[in-house]
Order: sequence, then structure tokens, then C-alpha cells
Amino acid sequence: MKYMIMLYGSQQDYDVLAGRPGGGPVWSADDVAAMHAFMAEWNDDLVKSGEFVDAQGLTAPVHARRIRLREGVPVVTDGPYAETEEVLAGYTIVECDGFDRATEIAARLARTPHPQGAAQAHEWYVDVRPIAGSPAELEL
Amino acid sequence: MTTPGEQTEDLLRRLAPRVLGAVVRRYGHFDTAEDAVQEALLAAAGRWPRDGLPDNPLGWLVTVAGRRLTDLLRAEQARRGREDVAGRRAIAEWRLAPAADLSAAGADDTLILLFLCCHPALPPASQIALTLRAVGGLTTAQIARAFLAPEATMTRRITRAKQRIRDSGVPFGMPASADRAARLRAVLHVLYLVFTEGYAGETWPLREDLTTEAIRLARIVHRLLPDDGEAAGLLALMLLTEARRAARTAPDGTPIPMAEQDRALWDAARIAEGVALVDAALSRGAPGPYQIQAAIAALHDEAPSAEATDWPQIAALYAVLSGMSDNPVTALNHAVAVAMSRGPRAGLDLLGGLEGDERLARDHRLPAVRAHLLELAGERAAAREAYLAAARRAASLPRRRYLNARAARLDDDP
Repeated sequence: MKYMIMLYGSQQDYDVLAGRPGGGPVWSADDVAAMHAFMAEWNDDLVKSGEFVDAQGLTAPVHARRIRLREGVPVVTDGPYAETEEVLAGYTIVECDGFDRATEIAARLARTPHPQGAAQAHEWYVDVRPIAGSPAELEL
Repeated sequence: MTTPGEQTEDLLRRLAPRVLGAVVRRYGHFDTAEDAVQEALLAAAGRWPRDGLPDNPLGWLVTVAGRRLTDLLRAEQARRGREDVAGRRAIAEWRLAPAADLSAAGADDTLILLFLCCHPALPPASQIALTLRAVGGLTTAQIARAFLAPEATMTRRITRAKQRIRDSGVPFGMPASADRAARLRAVLHVLYLVFTEGYAGETWPLREDLTTEAIRLARIVHRLLPDDGEAAGLLALMLLTEARRAARTAPDGTPIPMAEQDRALWDAARIAEGVALVDAALSRGAPGPYQIQAAIAALHDEAPSAEATDWPQIAALYAVLSGMSDNPVTALNHAVAVAMSRGPRAGLDLLGGLEGDERLARDHRLPAVRAHLLELAGERAAAREAYLAAARRAASLPRRRYLNARAARLDDDP
């Protein structure tokens, strides 16, 4: 059974992580390195256990494009999100024994280190969703 | 110390295109032959480190791949449930095939394979994947890892590429001489793309394996076509760029601009080899774009410091390169070189001409270069704004952090 573990962030979160001056405290190089090391270990554990399928990080929300229909014609908007709107920032797909194991994997991310000063604007969370079409879906 | 496994892998990677060339020459069926050769390589990778090398590794691989091809063709034939003339022919030829001198055709075969894999009927992503597998001897899993793509995606890409080659009906042979120059340009471009892909991420994980492989393949092409200036130029460009790798990023992945790099970390052996190649190529006259870019890289690599760099010469070479192709990144580099040789204002004037260029509209490089030149010109507030704009446009975290840090530096003092 496959599950997608999804992480979220706003443009503001991306900017704080990238050290954009002008706002409040930002992440230092050491903070970023600690976060990367933690994520790499989390990822490597999944590769070693054979549960890893795929993972991708997404660029900042300002790079997003939205395509909408306007009177039947597709119209493209660049950067459609508000600064503080939380959107998908990255995902990891795992193949493992059931929803509980996937939840356990995702919950380990709660220990991701982050700097004390750079308080998160939002409550921390991560989502896990079963991927449709897996064989185990039939047993639900 | 290399392990027996690594030694075997090196040998197999070198033999891969020659085995494939020999098998395709005897039996045809490029697409199925390529699968058969991969299986033979895998079998050897498992067996040789354990049992030792066979007396004639190349012959061993050709034999095993040939048998495997026969099996695959038989299975295909059975699956189709009808007579397959080609399959029977292959089996018959296998029995009759003489013990040919494999090495004589080896060099030509590698070139023919390169031309085939970089066939204009294929999209660039497929040309790259097929070249790395058929000529580079990499497994699909290795290629997928290098390009951060799922293995299933890469398998389909390679399979579809081989089908297209089969369907196009191109024979296994050198392209007609009238096409040779254009086809060679395509081959060099594919190797260039493999190389630049190794730098594309700018972040963890560094894909040094791709640059190493691109250099290995460029070396093979240069060895096969020693008189081709652009083949030499491309190899020189790769070596002269790769020479700076260790100095390009801080341990945390932050990019370090060339002016601030520790030049003691630059690889003197690669620089010497690259400079010798480009000097020899340029002496033949009528240089192409790879030779010009290599000449620019050589001027950077030989300079003791950013200040002591021959900027007027670099600006002149970028002007020549701009005349060869309409590439906005070349124009950006030209503006930087002009700024370094004639002052930031002259560079900023050149940037003005790029403002409306759609190709740069979403790229961080135009505002990043403008920020740098504005900073040199002492316009701190405007430089800060340009750095912030560039940071928003950059995709990778290390680059965004770098550009934001440059902006922050202009914050504190007047």
C-alpha cells in the first residue's frame, strides 16, 4: 500500500528559511544544515527499509502558476497564493504495511529541528493520505 | 584502493559500447541487442569479482550477450505466435559467425552508437538517457538516480527511444558524410547537457557522477576524432569548469562566486590538461562555441585572482560568442566582463538591452547580475532591491539564501 506524506509551507515560511531580510528572525546556515541532516537521515532510513518510493520538494509558491477557465478560455495567473497561505511544499511517497506504519513514519517528522527564534507562523502539521489504486484499498 | 567490484565496473563500462557494437553488427536488432548487452554486463558484474576475469573479457561478453539476444528474439517470436524471419536469421548467423577481430571495429562502433543514441528523431531527454546506457554502460537504475527520476520513468524513456530508432529504420552505420557535422554537433550537445545537469541542482545531492561520466565520454569522442576542434573544445571546457568544483560551494551548499573562491582548491592538473587542449584546438583556427567558452574558462582558471583576470580579453571572447548564437546567458556574461574591464556603468548599459527578453523574465540571473553591478557602482539601495528580487526568482534554497544574504549585507550601514 502506498501513502503520500505531505509537507506544507507559505511564501513567508520559504522566505524565512531562505534568510530574506526585513521580517523577523531568519534561519541561520547552521539551522538549515541541521534541518537538512535530519531530513536526509529520515529519507535514508526509508531507502534502507525499502519503503521509499519517491520524494520531491517544490519551489516557492511565487513560482506557481494557476490555470483557470474564463469564459471557456484557459487563463494563466502567476503566483496565485497569498503570502501567508499554506500550500504543498514537498512530498514523500512510501510503500509500507498499512496506514499505521505510514503514520508512524510521518510522525517522526515532528522532531525536525527548527530555530527557536524563527517562530512558525502556523501550527506544525504533516498530512498522510493513502494513494488510490493500491491493492490494499479493496480491503478497507 | 579499488575493490574487485569497482575494477570490474570500470572495465565493463569501457567495454560496454564495443560489446553492443559487435552484437548489433552481427545480429542487428539494436533495441533487443541493447537489453541483451545490459544483461551480459550484469552477469559479468556478479561473476567476475568472485571468479576472476575471463581470458578474453570482450569475447566473453559478446558471446553471453549474443546467446541472450537469441533467447530474447526466440521469446519475442513465440509471443507473437508467428514466424519471425529476423529472429531465425539471427539464430542462424550466430552459428555461422566467425571469430571476428573485435577490436578493429570497436572504435568505429562507439562513434556509430553515439550518433545513433543522439539521433535527431529523439527528444534530448531520451538522447541523454540512451547515450548513458548504451555508450556509458550505466544501468537504468543508475541513470534514474542521477537524474532524480523514478526508475520506471527512465525505463519507459529508454524503451521508447529504442523503439523510435527501430521504427525510423536507421541502419547501424556512420551517418552520410553530408550529415556528419550536424550529427556530431548533436552528440557534443548531449554530452554538454549531461555535464551541465551535474551542476543544475546546485544543492544536495551533488551529482558529480554525471560530470565525471560526461568527461569520460567527451574524452572518448576526442580520442576518436582528434582533429575535431569542437570535440577538443568541449572536453577542455568540461575539464576547466570541473577544475573549480571543490571551490564552488561552501560545505553547507552555499554557492561561492568565482571572485571569492579559494583558488588553491582549483585542480591544477585538470587546468593544465584543459589549457593544453584549448591551445592546440585554437591554433587550428575557425573556433566554434565550445572552443571559445573553453578559452574563456582557461583565462579564468589561469588568473591568480579576480582582479588580475584578463577581463578585456574575456569581454572580447564573449562578444565573439554572442555573435555565434542568440543566447541571453552569454549576453549576461558579456555584460559582467565589460563591467569588470570598463566599469560597472558600461555593464549596466548592456543589461538594459536584456530587460525585455522573455527567456530571462522568470530567471534569477538578470536581477542578480544587475544587483552585483549596482553594488559595484555604489548604488546600495537599488542593489539591495535587485538582490531581493533575484532571491525570489531563484529556485534552489542555497542560491536564495546567498542572494538574501547579499541583500542583508547592504542593510546595516549607509
